[in-house]
Amino acid sequence: MRERITYVLKLGDSLPPSELTIDASSISGPEVTAVREDRLTIALNELPAELQTLVTGAQGLHIRWVGTTSSEAISPLLARLPPGFHVFFTPGKDDAVSQKLCPTLKDVFGGVSCSTPGESFTSLPKDRFSHSAALQYFQQLDSLSPFVQYAKDQLCGPTDAFCAARLDSLSTASSLDISYDKVQEVLKVTAAWPYQSQQVHAATLPGLRTEVGILSSDKFKTLEPHEIGISGLLTVLGQNKEPSPTMFSFPARHREAESTFSAQFLTPTGLHPTLQLRLASGTGPAPLFAAAADDGDEPACTPYAYLTLPRTIFADKYQLSDPLFLASKNLTALRYTTQPVDLEAPEYVMSQWGSSVLVQLSPPPPSGENGGGEWTAELPFHLRYLAPAQGGYAGISVPYPAVFWACAPEAGVKFPPNPFEKDNLGYDGLFDQRTVFWHVEPRPVDGGPLVNTVQVPVLDLDKAGWVNAGTAAAVLVGFAWVAWKLLGVYSRGGGAKVEADKKKQ
Amino acid sequence: MAKPPKTGGRTAPTQAASTTPSLLASFFSCPLPLYLSAAFLRVVFLLYGLWQDANSPVKYTDIDYLVFTDASRFVSRGQSPYERETYRYTPILAWLLLPTAHVTGNPLLDVALFSSGKVLFAAADLLAGWLLERVLAKSMDAAAARKFAAIWLLNPMVATISTRGSSEGLLGVLVMALLSTVVAKRVTLAGVLLGFSVHFKIYPFIYAPAIVWWMDRERMSGPKASTKKPQAATSLVSQALAFVTPTRLQLAITSLATFLSLNLAMFAVYGPPFLHQTYLHHITRIDHRHNFSPYNTQLYLASASASSALPGAATTTDTPSIRIESIAFLPQLLLSCVLIPLAMAKKDLPAAMLAQTFAFVAFNKVCTSQYLLWYMVLLPLYLPRSSFLQNPRLGITALVLWVAAQGLWLQQGYGLEFLGRSVFVPGLWAASLGFFGVNCWILGVIISDVGRRG
Repeated sequence: MRERITYVLKLGDSLPPSELTIDASSISGPEVTAVREDRLTIALNELPAELQTLVTGAQGLHIRWVGTTSSEAISPLLARLPPGFHVFFTPGKDDAVSQKLCPTLKDVFGGVSCSTPGESFTSLPKDRFSHSAALQYFQQLDSLSPFVQYAKDQLCGPTDAFCAARLDSLSTASSLDISYDKVQEVLKVTAAWPYQSQQVHAATLPGLRTEVGILSSDKFKTLEPHEIGISGLLTVLGQNKEPSPTMFSFPARHREAESTFSAQFLTPTGLHPTLQLRLASGTGPAPLFAAAADDGDEPACTPYAYLTLPRTIFADKYQLSDPLFLASKNLTALRYTTQPVDLEAPEYVMSQWGSSVLVQLSPPPPSGENGGGEWTAELPFHLRYLAPAQGGYAGISVPYPAVFWACAPEAGVKFPPNPFEKDNLGYDGLFDQRTVFWHVEPRPVDGGPLVNTVQVPVLDLDKAGWVNAGTAAAVLVGFAWVAWKLLGVYSRGGGAKVEADKKKQ
Repeated sequence: MAKPPKTGGRTAPTQAASTTPSLLASFFSCPLPLYLSAAFLRVVFLLYGLWQDANSPVKYTDIDYLVFTDASRFVSRGQSPYERETYRYTPILAWLLLPTAHVTGNPLLDVALFSSGKVLFAAADLLAGWLLERVLAKSMDAAAARKFAAIWLLNPMVATISTRGSSEGLLGVLVMALLSTVVAKRVTLAGVLLGFSVHFKIYPFIYAPAIVWWMDRERMSGPKASTKKPQAATSLVSQALAFVTPTRLQLAITSLATFLSLNLAMFAVYGPPFLHQTYLHHITRIDHRHNFSPYNTQLYLASASASSALPGAATTTDTPSIRIESIAFLPQLLLSCVLIPLAMAKKDLPAAMLAQTFAFVAFNKVCTSQYLLWYMVLLPLYLPRSSFLQNPRLGITALVLWVAAQGLWLQQGYGLEFLGRSVFVPGLWAASLGFFGVNCWILGVIISDVGRRG
């Protein structure tokens, strides 16, 4: 088991080595404003048995949880996902393992409501780019506490206060990532805490290799345009008595657009709510290499919104195919939607988790009146009928989208895996592997959570008591009335008919 | 309504100078002005639609037309039309619209090709109107027949629906063709048309019992045969045997053969998706989305408790709701397929078919505005001798009530759909029951009218 603890400071911030105190098993220092990221690398044989069969039986498994509190992302930990619980899964040959996935997820995370990958998961496209998982699942999950409890039961001894405290701290984490690496046969569990002021402190245990980094991004002269530079201090607890200064760089696919957006439903929402995205800037990033800037008519970088929509709400791909309609909403095109999405079924008969959509947005032209300034784009959705409820309304919540500018691949640029980036984010598989994503920070107007709620009108159960009897009575009365009229015709007309027959005789 | 006199004036200049009634009379005195203005109306609507589609994010073209044309595009690529989600029609419709899938590269020609389906639907309107006139002309003079056919031909609602690209116009022409061949006693052709119509849209099967009942021995075999008939009608068995006439058998065989061979052919080409989308879907569908049907709210409640989405309420509402749902077809089919044909078909076949359609739509588990067109095409055949025209106050009351009931429902629907108000109960439910009540009352008047004719 290995652990990597990283405090990531902002560009230009740094900590003098003299301010760190290092002893045989711990490190401590002053208060810094930073993102803290802890990564635990667990070998296969160190895993609980049920997780062992699961991860080895799968071709690929990535579980990502993102909290709903908005926080600033710090380079290089920039990749964003809609808040909630994401699973990207490629089944292996053994179907029994797939069948165990959902029960195991339920055990580990609590409140996960999938039944089997076949019923609840959706397929991801595998035709264009093959670098993503086969199946996707998403649901809202506000709290990690069931996971914390599970991890404590599995990992900590009954009297191990240190272990329990470490795990308890997850309750304030902003994200959690669990990925199984097939090549190295290790499970990587990565948690991150929001950018905030905190004391530098880490400790290790016997049998655990703990490396502590206090790093910040840096712009050295030798840096290539597609690279990010990192500098700072690294300490392996128990080995180093002094922090060793370090400096390295790597090509980075995820960048900071240095801009913000908010998302809100326009009122009244009705049964066809429109999510309005308000973007602070209409000017996108420039391509990394100047040569690509004027390449062709298409701008090299265009903005996108990636949404994971619970099954209560969906986008109609046919509605989003008309250029005039799209233009009126400041959209360019619906680039991807989960297939198929039932356009009619009520929510309560569906087992699929929902759908993910990727929409290309259309910023105002830079030369125009409002070019480059704040602008909006509207995403039209439709609600499904929800189950009848007391009071006549049911609330649903829709997570914030991930909004980013994607820049077309540039010649000769490659992005090998690096220690701070993740793949299998849902949207990265919809682009070429060399696409660079410039992330726009979600910042709700009221500073609230990264979730919008909609009040959906439903049949009011308090008033529905008469519906069955009333409908039956109305139909019966209507039928009786028409039948009575028919009887009149029949008796009169029938008689006439008999008379006519008699005359003929 | 300003157009007819103008066109009439052009074709009959001598009468144009005289007063309005004769101007109106001259408009109907020969077919050309009526059909030209009906065509002109549709051309104007079609062109306006093209303009609106090209210039507004709100489209004139019906969503269904995009479904049809998408399906045609799949067919033109050698694929199944059922590749298009929500394509729930016979493949013949997609085949008919194949020209819409053709792309030449010339933008003007492409727009014309894409609109060719609407032209087809609009032409079907005109043809239905012409058939309507022919049937009407059997009981009145030609000018009067055209006047009543104009209710269909110059009806802006009908013209809008076909130029928006809804296929209901094709159904109008099929039903009118069926009726006119039956009245003309061309039994084989009637059977083929009946089989084809049912293959096309299911609901025309309700006309089968009315037509069969109408085709009795006396009517079909002339005065000579009728003299022989009465002596046979003594026992129940012989009565039943007397019912089975050669013409009735001929109709049954031709219609069944047409229906079955079309379905077998389509199944052979497109397999289970054809069967599922065209027919079975209508049995298994859960129509929770609000519509005019009196059953709508009840079905919503029932579908939710059936899927046990209502854990608390399931135990109390489950049993009765499932029962209502599964017997809902009884009053509908009893009226439209048994009682109305028996009481009315022999007296007035067109009016009986109107009443059947009216009952079928009013008592259906689903009812949208499009369904209302199903009886619109038969209306001109009944109106001339109806008490709605003889007693204008009654006629206007019926029209106002019919429109107002829909208006009330639409107002509730707007509150739900666009304002997000929970108006399912009592608003929407009561409005749909109100519309149902008005429909039953109108149906009662239609039935009594036919009864009075004895």
